[in-house]
Amino acid sequence: MPEVSKMKKPDVKVVLLGDMNVGKTSLLHRYMERKFKDTISTVGGAFFLKQWGPYNISIWDTAGREQFHGLGSMYCRGAAAVIFTYDVTNWQSLAELEERFLSLTDTANHDCIYAVVGNKADITDPKAQLSQDSDVASKDRTEIEEERTEPQVLSACPTPPASPVSFSGITLHKQVTPEDAVAFYGRILRYKGLEEKSSLPAEKMCFETSAKTGYNVDTLFEALFDLVLPSILRKRSENQESPTVDLEECRGASNKRARSACC
Amino acid sequence: MAKPSGRYSTRHFDGTKTDWDGIMERDNHQEGEAQGVKICDPPCESNPPAETLATSLSLLGNHMFPDPVESKDSNVTTVNKEEPPDSLLSDVTAEEKSLDAEPHSDHVTKLQTEETDNSECQNNVSTQPPDRGTEDAAADNDQSDSGEFVVTMLAKAKLEEQGIGVKGRSSPLLEAGTQEYPAFMSHRDEDVTADSWRQHRKHVFVLSEAGKPIYSRYGSEEALSSTMGVMMALVSFVQSGDNIIRSVYSEEHTVVFLQKGPLVLVCVSSSRQTEQQLCGELLYVYYQIISMLTQASISRIFEHKKNYDLRRLLAGSEKILDGLLNLVDSDPSFLLAAVHCLPLASSLRDNLSQILQKAITPNLVFSILIAKNQLLTIVQEKTVIEDTRLEPADIHLLLNLIGASSAFQAGEIWTPICLPLFNPDCYFYAYISYLDPPECTVCLLLLSTDKEAFYAVAECKRKIEEAMMAQNSLSLIDKVHSYSVSQVGVSDLRHFMYKPFDVPDNYRQLTQFTSPEMEAPYGSEEEKMRLLDLYRYMHSRIHSTSRPLKLIYHVAERETLLAWVTSKFELYTCFSPLVTKACAITAITKLLRWIKKEEDRLFIRYPPKYSTTPNPSKSSRGGKSDQQDSTDNGVLSLL
Ligand SMILES: Nc1nc2c(ncn2[C@@H]2O[C@H](COP(=O)(O)OP(=O)(O)OP(=O)(O)O)[C@@H](O)[C@H]2O)c(=O)[nH]1
Ligand SMILES: [Mg+2]
Repeated sequence: MPEVSKMKKPDVKVVLLGDMNVGKTSLLHRYMERKFKDTISTVGGAFFLKQWGPYNISIWDTAGREQFHGLGSMYCRGAAAVIFTYDVTNWQSLAELEERFLSLTDTANHDCIYAVVGNKADITDPKAQLSQDSDVASKDRTEIEEERTEPQVLSACPTPPASPVSFSGITLHKQVTPEDAVAFYGRILRYKGLEEKSSLPAEKMCFETSAKTGYNVDTLFEALFDLVLPSILRKRSENQESPTVDLEECRGASNKRARSACC
Repeated sequence: MAKPSGRYSTRHFDGTKTDWDGIMERDNHQEGEAQGVKICDPPCESNPPAETLATSLSLLGNHMFPDPVESKDSNVTTVNKEEPPDSLLSDVTAEEKSLDAEPHSDHVTKLQTEETDNSECQNNVSTQPPDRGTEDAAADNDQSDSGEFVVTMLAKAKLEEQGIGVKGRSSPLLEAGTQEYPAFMSHRDEDVTADSWRQHRKHVFVLSEAGKPIYSRYGSEEALSSTMGVMMALVSFVQSGDNIIRSVYSEEHTVVFLQKGPLVLVCVSSSRQTEQQLCGELLYVYYQIISMLTQASISRIFEHKKNYDLRRLLAGSEKILDGLLNLVDSDPSFLLAAVHCLPLASSLRDNLSQILQKAITPNLVFSILIAKNQLLTIVQEKTVIEDTRLEPADIHLLLNLIGASSAFQAGEIWTPICLPLFNPDCYFYAYISYLDPPECTVCLLLLSTDKEAFYAVAECKRKIEEAMMAQNSLSLIDKVHSYSVSQVGVSDLRHFMYKPFDVPDNYRQLTQFTSPEMEAPYGSEEEKMRLLDLYRYMHSRIHSTSRPLKLIYHVAERETLLAWVTSKFELYTCFSPLVTKACAITAITKLLRWIKKEEDRLFIRYPPKYSTTPNPSKSSRGGKSDQQDSTDNGVLSLL
């Protein structure tokens, strides 16, 4: 059978959510293609498969535009990880996460993990301006390694100026501090009815990234993939009897309920 | 451009006159004069109002055609019933006998004269400072003519913006667009005060009934809010009476208004197209918006909130509308309301159709294969279109959606899409994926009625990919090209468009047309456009509502055109200027024979159908039964 047509059955689903223009497509493109290029506002949702060691991870890059809002819960159905993305230079994009996107995760797995990602850090953080694209070698690794020694996200991150700064002539929107993101993470847990103690800590789940320079992008995706490993393993063992993984298994019984939940 | 100084005034329909300084005056001269709907001013006559109009309009843009009304008729010959030049033409009914049978020999001179006239007219403009002088003159002549008045208002609206450029001051007619929109929205950052903005051949604006700007082809909508406000005022005023403004003509511009539900679409064109054609183009814009949002949800939104800013929902989709308008200008498919498929050996097309036919899943209703932005084949579920045809316009919108956005070139896309002609109120869910990355020329489009069917539909794609791989289809498709007119083997024939009314074996399915590549002398963009404009002109004569014609022999300066419509087909041909009428008719005989011979390759025939879906026609066509599909998009919850 020819290579392309070989069915890769996704083991687990990761969903990128966030307002339009925050850089979801750019982040994914940076991770998958090691490049930053001009993007076009996403239409609907775009489905990708990422080989992660022996596992296949499906990634949904969703459109942030309001036009496609109603589809969000469908993309999130059965998700093992949701990446809430905002733009560090735009306070409203963080607010939108809470207003528009948080409720879409109602259809996600009960053990879904949540990351909060502030993109475009290159604009606010000098550290993120350095290109981090030297780690091309790690692109196609077949084994899951230990986390590389990249600067830890939040702890080392200085608080960026909170007032709007002028950047190449444009006055930027009010910026978002890492503390704002951590606070939002806390509210996600509360919304989900999760205990803070038994959940992943905010320091581990809040990131600042730059799709432009590559800053923290690999760290983000690899950390998440590592964290969904248990979910993959559990799923695999559940499917032990039937070796063919049902692509639609996340649909199934929840179909009707989800339909009514998304309006 | 120099900043105009002084005060500016615009007369309103209710007779008030507004100075942009904010002073309102009462003036009754204008009362009741605004109803004149169509005004065709003679070009550049020396009476002062016309000059004023010309001056005002030149602020809106330039014109492309040197020839206004007269030269058209004089160049046109209608073949007479009494002298059938060939038996082929015996069934032609001549409907216009008054015109003589030979082309005017003096048309070249005539055109030149007119060109001179026009350039004089433009000189007037440039010598006269377009700000102050124009203003005063226009204001003084307000009463002379209601159509002029209307257009002057439009011109003034422009002046207001460039004018004084006072930010935040909205049109006194309506408070349109005073609100701010996030900075990233204004990627359409063309300077609306620049001359170049005004000189675009065709402007298109969309606004809501409440006057909120929704879309502008050039420049950002917010920069144009006062223009929109003025247009809106025109529309709403005339609506309040019994007259519906549909178009305003001047010697340089045609302004066409179209109201569809809560949306108002306006076109300001110097393309010399007819109102009918421009209106058709606006309708395509409307349908493209519907294809993204559905008619039902747009109505519902505006029922809930008259003032809603629809840009919230269309943000990011401007490119799709831009792309549509470019296609409308450059692709005759829209003019002919027919689909142009890629010519393909029928065996290959059949193979592809069969591949699509085999890769099916419940609720899949259309499988469409596209290459080089043209249709390769389309396969449909049996019951989905039992008694109606799939409208070409729906295919055009789909092709534009895919062609206009490179967003589909990465990953597998799953997105809601409405086919407005099929059912304007509900969504299909489209799976879109290119089969040949990274080149991205062959695109697969699978439409399902089930929002949740992504994984099942994606599985169909894998089957299709596999089968195409096995048959080496991709490399076969890659070799396929549009054809050259030289293959017809008629020396004087330069180009043609042939639209059969029903492709045999495709009865009541999909209207198609065939046309060769545009080659020299129509290689450059300008020349292409010029030929298309000639076709558009011929088309308007053939389809004229007042005096439709069956056959037109049109001798233009650089080519001779023949358009012919019968009960079986519509044909537009373009010959070298040296062709004689007898030659042209022989050529057409040969051409028709050639098309007959090539029919299998040029058109999609025997469109295959499949049957898997329990009852797809109910779910997609049912309209009311499936209302939740359009609410599904969650739009209302965002109000
Ligand atoms: N400076 C900077 N710009 C970025 C970065 N990431 C994305 N951008 C820019 O932000 C804009 C939007 O990026 P996209 O990736 O298309 O945004 P998106 O979130 O996918 O938007 P939607 O698809 O509409 O939801 C583009 O112009 C990018 O070039 C970043 O890390 N730094
Ligand atoms: Mg995107």
